[in-house]
Amino acid sequence: MTKHWSLRVNRVLDLAIFLILGFFPLAGLSFYTQLIEKYMVFLIFAWSLDILWGYTGLMDLGHAVLFGMGGYTMALCLSAQGGIPEFMERCGVTVPPFWLKAIMNPFAAVLVGILLPALLAWLLGRFLFTSRVGGVFFSVITLALAQVFTLFLQSQQKYMGGFNGIGGLPGLSFFGHSLSLMESYYFVFCVVFLVFAFCRVLMASRFGLVLRSVRENETRLEFLGYDQAKFKTAVFAVSGALAGLAGVLYAPVNGMIAPNDVGIEFSTTAIVWLAIGGRGNLTGAALGSLLINVLGNALSEQFGAFWQLLLGIVIIVVVFFMPDGVVGALRKAVKEHE
Amino acid sequence: MAALGMVVICGLMNVINLAHGELIMIGAYTAYCITQKAGMSFAVALPAAFAVSAAVGAAMELAVIRRLTGRPAETMLATFGISVVLQQMANLIFGAQSQYVAIPIPGNFSLGHVVVPYYNVFTILFVTAVLAGTVLLMKKTRFGRRVRAITQNRSMAECLGIDSAHVDTMTFAFGSGLAGLAGALAAPVKSVSPFMGGPYLINSFLTSVVGGIASFFGTTVGSLLVGESTALLGGLTNDVLASILVFLIIIAIIRFKPEGLFAKERR
Repeated sequence: MTKHWSLRVNRVLDLAIFLILGFFPLAGLSFYTQLIEKYMVFLIFAWSLDILWGYTGLMDLGHAVLFGMGGYTMALCLSAQGGIPEFMERCGVTVPPFWLKAIMNPFAAVLVGILLPALLAWLLGRFLFTSRVGGVFFSVITLALAQVFTLFLQSQQKYMGGFNGIGGLPGLSFFGHSLSLMESYYFVFCVVFLVFAFCRVLMASRFGLVLRSVRENETRLEFLGYDQAKFKTAVFAVSGALAGLAGVLYAPVNGMIAPNDVGIEFSTTAIVWLAIGGRGNLTGAALGSLLINVLGNALSEQFGAFWQLLLGIVIIVVVFFMPDGVVGALRKAVKEHE
Repeated sequence: MAALGMVVICGLMNVINLAHGELIMIGAYTAYCITQKAGMSFAVALPAAFAVSAAVGAAMELAVIRRLTGRPAETMLATFGISVVLQQMANLIFGAQSQYVAIPIPGNFSLGHVVVPYYNVFTILFVTAVLAGTVLLMKKTRFGRRVRAITQNRSMAECLGIDSAHVDTMTFAFGSGLAGLAGALAAPVKSVSPFMGGPYLINSFLTSVVGGIASFFGTTVGSLLVGESTALLGGLTNDVLASILVFLIIIAIIRFKPEGLFAKERR
């Protein structure tokens, strides 16, 4: 009986989140609608990290790299629609490089933006997980990867826009028809909902159950005849694809992308969303990311450093008193209330 | 040097400390306060930086890390929280702009075509001395023996009457102190800012991984390898390509020798 109730907490919260997101634009605050649209893209990113860290227990400290690969692919494609992108022209590029031609078609760019990070994740996973590399090393490597990726982007002034990134991107459009804010918002909403449904189905499947047992006890899983490396590699690739998808959406929705959006800072921010919201369930990831983004936006302008300080303290407090995050604490409270 | 502190904490206590970079930052700010604000000599700044960082480290261990033993993911998160708090506190106290510390031993001499500042020579000598001191401390003293006993088998060490909690605090403080010392040494050649810790953290991680997380000798060689190969490859190609190459090499090392190049034999 208690199990039923605790499950219901998640369902109620999921429903509430989607209802609020669904009806928000009707309030007519176009500035905030735009902001929430961006936060919805972050939801996809949060879930992609959640299936990797929350469910499988692999703490990726450089997850934004995968996000950034999708984002930069899309940004390059969008900026190249009217011939050679302006930032490339300024550096004296006259002939578009071959890889830019390959992603000129937006559909190809979407595909590349999703598959490229998945491929990187798959290769990295194949390479790392087949040896007995501990979870900690995985975190260290991904952290270093984020550092290297940022360095790479900053140095490529010619092709990646360097330190300033790629800006001035047009919004979402289909076959020459550019979407209005409302249309684009609901398009993103639908994608977010589909990703949510996909993650739920995936995590409830046998595959998801195996992932959870990877987190709980790797050795026992091996004794039962499962190859943990295969499952870890697979989930890393899926997570990479989702992160790439989030990046692909982020570029047109945000209008620009810069090395800052894809480095260590953004990766650790996502870790914080999950830690505060609650790991290992999609509701926690969603709630955490929305909560921090909305609060951060409201508070950081007036109290910049204090907000960061508060966030740091909140992380420590959550680790001590709410190891399962806000959602976990809520669930516990409901259980005790019974 | 920074990596040495990391090894002490990471290898001996099995704690991943994401606030390590901030301990370096604290050491650097201590050096800044003492030399620039109080006008005292750099010789005072070094031990002071060690002491301040060690105190912060001990406080961290007592307040947070001790309660989370055996839960590495939570420990990592908590130390990340601490790192954010320390960064922002430094930001509030000193402001976000970079501060500079005057080089205590000015001048340089030339060796053929290469110009070598005296301060670099001093740094190398000083680090060697600290390294030797640390090895001596770990091998010869009572404290070092206890630390090693706990690393090998915690419950057995406790059975023999070693107060492991106390030793943990001391170890963490010592590692933090080394980080602070590294920060103070780096302060005159690099700028001091609240956000200076990040790159150091990653470098420390990588070097300690290359060298083997439980070996001092390995760390020294590891840090030389990482530093030199970055510089060497950087000369051949460019800086970014060099760091990408070094990163790939490190991944390969972790893949094939996860215990590091100079791992101690474990039973």
